[in-house]
Amino acid sequence: MISSKFYYRSPSDVQEAISLYQEFQGKAVYLSGGTDLIPRLKLGLQRPRAVIDLKRIRTLTETDDQGEWVRIGALVRIFNLSQNELVASFFPALKASLQATSCETLQMRGTIGGNLLQDTRCLFYNQSEFWRKSKGFCLKMGGESCNAVPGARACFANYCSDNAMALCTLSALIELAGPDGTRRLPLEDLYGGTAQNPFTLHEGEILTAILVPKRRSAGGYEKLRLRGSIDYPLLGLAFSVVDGTGKLAVGAVGARPYVAGVTQPFQESIEEAIETVLRQLRLAANAVLDPAYRKRMIPVLARRLVKKVLGEVR
Amino acid sequence: MERIKVALQVNGESSVLEVRPYETLLETLRDRMDLTGAKEGCGMGACGSCTVLLDGIPTRSCIVLTAELDGAEVVTIEGLSDGTKLHTLQQSFMEKGAVQCGFCTPGMIMTAKGLLDRSLTPTREEIVRSVSSNLCRCTGYKKIVEAVEAAAVGAEEEA
Repeated sequence: MISSKFYYRSPSDVQEAISLYQEFQGKAVYLSGGTDLIPRLKLGLQRPRAVIDLKRIRTLTETDDQGEWVRIGALVRIFNLSQNELVASFFPALKASLQATSCETLQMRGTIGGNLLQDTRCLFYNQSEFWRKSKGFCLKMGGESCNAVPGARACFANYCSDNAMALCTLSALIELAGPDGTRRLPLEDLYGGTAQNPFTLHEGEILTAILVPKRRSAGGYEKLRLRGSIDYPLLGLAFSVVDGTGKLAVGAVGARPYVAGVTQPFQESIEEAIETVLRQLRLAANAVLDPAYRKRMIPVLARRLVKKVLGEVR
Repeated sequence: MERIKVALQVNGESSVLEVRPYETLLETLRDRMDLTGAKEGCGMGACGSCTVLLDGIPTRSCIVLTAELDGAEVVTIEGLSDGTKLHTLQQSFMEKGAVQCGFCTPGMIMTAKGLLDRSLTPTREEIVRSVSSNLCRCTGYKKIVEAVEAAAVGAEEEA
């Protein structure tokens, strides 16, 4: 049951959606597949006055080959994208991460845009209101300090989109539409906030598309999880090589994907990339596996991934 | 609070409902329509026991708002048999002993139905990938996979 009451609107174009957002004075949320949002509404993590459903906006559901770019509408379903031939032949890391996302039926509901804009997660946050109240509200709920690291004045929630990592290694851009017009920025610049509030989106902005440079790449994705299906990543690593230069992205280890360049010879350079990423991480005991173990698995999975990808290149 | 008008076809029957914006499809099916085949397990979209076909696609009905569904077509486990004869999948789950406590079964069958609708002869790997969308805490999936395999063969022979 969803205990909070809200209005429902289903605009037919992006401008109308933005106007509705303004009409509700920003106390509205955009809905795409709902696989992240509806559970959050059920847990009372968010209490909007209105839910603005974007699914009737046709322009958001198309994937186009634009020559230089592959433009992926934000509301393209994850499953459909994983079956797309352009993705299969140009972006193997993305294909792998799409297939590793949750499970097949949730892939059929969830969208690529919604996947990128999912909220950060923490064992002490994604809980019922009753549970959270008994524990005392943490920073992300508007409290004074973190519950995963008692006393800490920082949030350690993890950003768990599988596909963000793959798209970062492919140097994807995102296209946003908002009250002040549209803009494009590198996907990596979407992140920058804290784990409480991970995105640099402006008020009322809608993610309309993801633009991936249309260049052939070699790549892959490794995901650490307890079950082979449904689970969010406990670690997610993507690696892509485009025109002889590689990128490694590591995620589910903080508020954003951590990206590092990898140059030839890859097997040596990957060690530096791993170090660069590890130096930036501050993992907390807020996922179902121990943080020390998750950290130790980063080099293991990174080396495995590079080996696998290079094997395919030859 | 407002009500949203939704024209919905459930198991072949059309109806026009007026729902609150925060009513889920699972609530509509179970509480309004008495279709209690779809079960509420986790209520968070994780377990799959509430799976129904939404415009032919297996969907977790606990995380879909009924307000989203104007013009949609829903098939639940109740809509599979024609009233006298069980659907091949239902028959096959019985014969292969793929049901223990039975709680996951309706969702499991609807997920399998989604697979067989798009692929008449799925490989074992495809079946495993599909049904691993749904949690079963009794049988360990072996008999479920066998049941779907047998149903696929049966469906192919009928076709």
